[in-house]
Amino acid sequence: MAVPGRAQWKGYIRFGEVTAPVALYTATSTSERISFHTVNRETGNRVRREFVDSATGKPVEKEDQVKGYELDNDRYVVLEPEEVAAAVPESDKTLRVQAFISCDDIDKVYFDRPYYLTPDKMGTEAYALLRDGMHKKKVAAIAQTVLFRRMRTVLVRTHEKGLIATTLNFDYEVRSAKEAFKEIPEIKIKGEMLDLAKHIIGIKKGTFSADEFDDRYEAALAELIKAKMEGKTLPKRAPPKVSKPNELLEALRQSAGIKAAAEPKRRASKAAPKGRSKATRSAAAKAKTKTAAKSAPAQRRRAS
Amino acid sequence: MAPPRPYWKGYLKLSLVTCPVSMMPATSESEKVRFHTLNRKTNNRVVSRYVDAETGKEVDEEDEAKGYERGENDFLVIEDEELESVALESARTIDIEKFVSRNTIEWVWLEKPHYLSPSDEVGHEAFSVVRDAMEAEKVVGISRLVLGRRERAVMLEPCGKGIVVWTLRYGDEVRKAENYFGDIGDGDNDPKLMSLVTSLIEERSKPWNPDMVQDPVQEKLKAIIESKRKSAKKGAKPKGKGKDEEPAYTGNVIDLMSALKKSLETKSGGKSRRRIN
Repeated sequence: MAVPGRAQWKGYIRFGEVTAPVALYTATSTSERISFHTVNRETGNRVRREFVDSATGKPVEKEDQVKGYELDNDRYVVLEPEEVAAAVPESDKTLRVQAFISCDDIDKVYFDRPYYLTPDKMGTEAYALLRDGMHKKKVAAIAQTVLFRRMRTVLVRTHEKGLIATTLNFDYEVRSAKEAFKEIPEIKIKGEMLDLAKHIIGIKKGTFSADEFDDRYEAALAELIKAKMEGKTLPKRAPPKVSKPNELLEALRQSAGIKAAAEPKRRASKAAPKGRSKATRSAAAKAKTKTAAKSAPAQRRRAS
Repeated sequence: MAPPRPYWKGYLKLSLVTCPVSMMPATSESEKVRFHTLNRKTNNRVVSRYVDAETGKEVDEEDEAKGYERGENDFLVIEDEELESVALESARTIDIEKFVSRNTIEWVWLEKPHYLSPSDEVGHEAFSVVRDAMEAEKVVGISRLVLGRRERAVMLEPCGKGIVVWTLRYGDEVRKAENYFGDIGDGDNDPKLMSLVTSLIEERSKPWNPDMVQDPVQEKLKAIIESKRKSAKKGAKPKGKGKDEEPAYTGNVIDLMSALKKSLETKSGGKSRRRIN
């Protein structure tokens, strides 16, 4: 069977003293959809990019453009392409497995790009052995090699009948989750609130296949552009209503479809905003959910 | 790391519960050794600027606008604020439509991670409810979200006190695995080999550690820059190393068996270093 496209990389994978020839194929592509052009607001013409000397303002030829590292204000060291290349270790084209890590132990935030890792030439036996061994032990392999002019760490994991090698971001490219979330107060939700939220999850639980997802943006943008061309004013949209802490429990109950009447004591005293709340509740539910068809006649009856 | 600026602000919504949130990318380029482009002749920075395609004159930054091409060379200018009124709730609300069991979304779909936090005290509890319930039920949430002028499917996963939001790739962005793996056998492995390989895996298993993703090239570049800074000019070029020869691969079952055995020996005994051919 012909493999579509050309391999991004060909080399070997080495675990322990075993070496098997393999190839990497990019597993993903990026698709661009809507594109705007940059235009000059003044003239309505398109603009084009030019590279100029910051001091003289004159265009700089491609061959005169070199890499410079800024030491401090306006002081640079020039690095020639050969010097940058010399910083990269010589490639022996071998993905060396450094360690195996449990699949549950993997921090996905490091994931960069996935590649299909396939056996090349006659290496299928060792390949199948590594795949099945990792599958059995529920582990992935951490391996390193020179890829795309950089020493990269990849995570190799079984996928269907093959293996996927995902390049990992370097340590300095990933923000610490702990740091990012440190301002969030320690709140552990328990009791009724947690039960209600779990109930809502149960209602909304299902399956999802990413390949059936449709991007509605283009259509919505087309509408917007049409409205603008027809000279209509574009609607300003009001921000959604945020649930206040004292309304949270009630919002959860309504979302879970639990009757507020099930808790008779406290409601009379203060909580319920508009007293007799069967009507209120069903109205609120109707506004938010799609049970409109059923509740509309009922509501009309009450209203009259 | 550079102080993270909120990259997106909006709302997180589960049914009738809504709270204000902010989001930032979980990855950052700010610590990477970055180069600028210089003009070799003058040593000045090279900067890019826009010129009007018709008049050739420089265009001020504030005059740069997004143009939708409604006819040939006929552009309708759309302002960023106007784009915000696009009629999609997902432009600013992450409304969780669905929950799925953890680990049912294949990793190949995961595109870019972001950290989601409550942005206002009013939403702390509501945010925590959504997070803790997902954690308790071992599920992830699925929603739509407009980012970068496209509507994306996103996956929400609790992470410590916060939530990680992954953009998911579109259906046409992931190549079909069977086109690549179709020829691979189902693995009729020799049980002896299997037992050797699983011992090897056990022996070399380690806990995850961020040290596994260090970047030696970046360290070298920093060293080169440092030495250049010191000896302002004397650009002694680092020499390339000798090439390693290409390794031979392990072919048949007998080779495999002896290579695996050797791997186990090398690790424990640490003597035989010989390369197998």
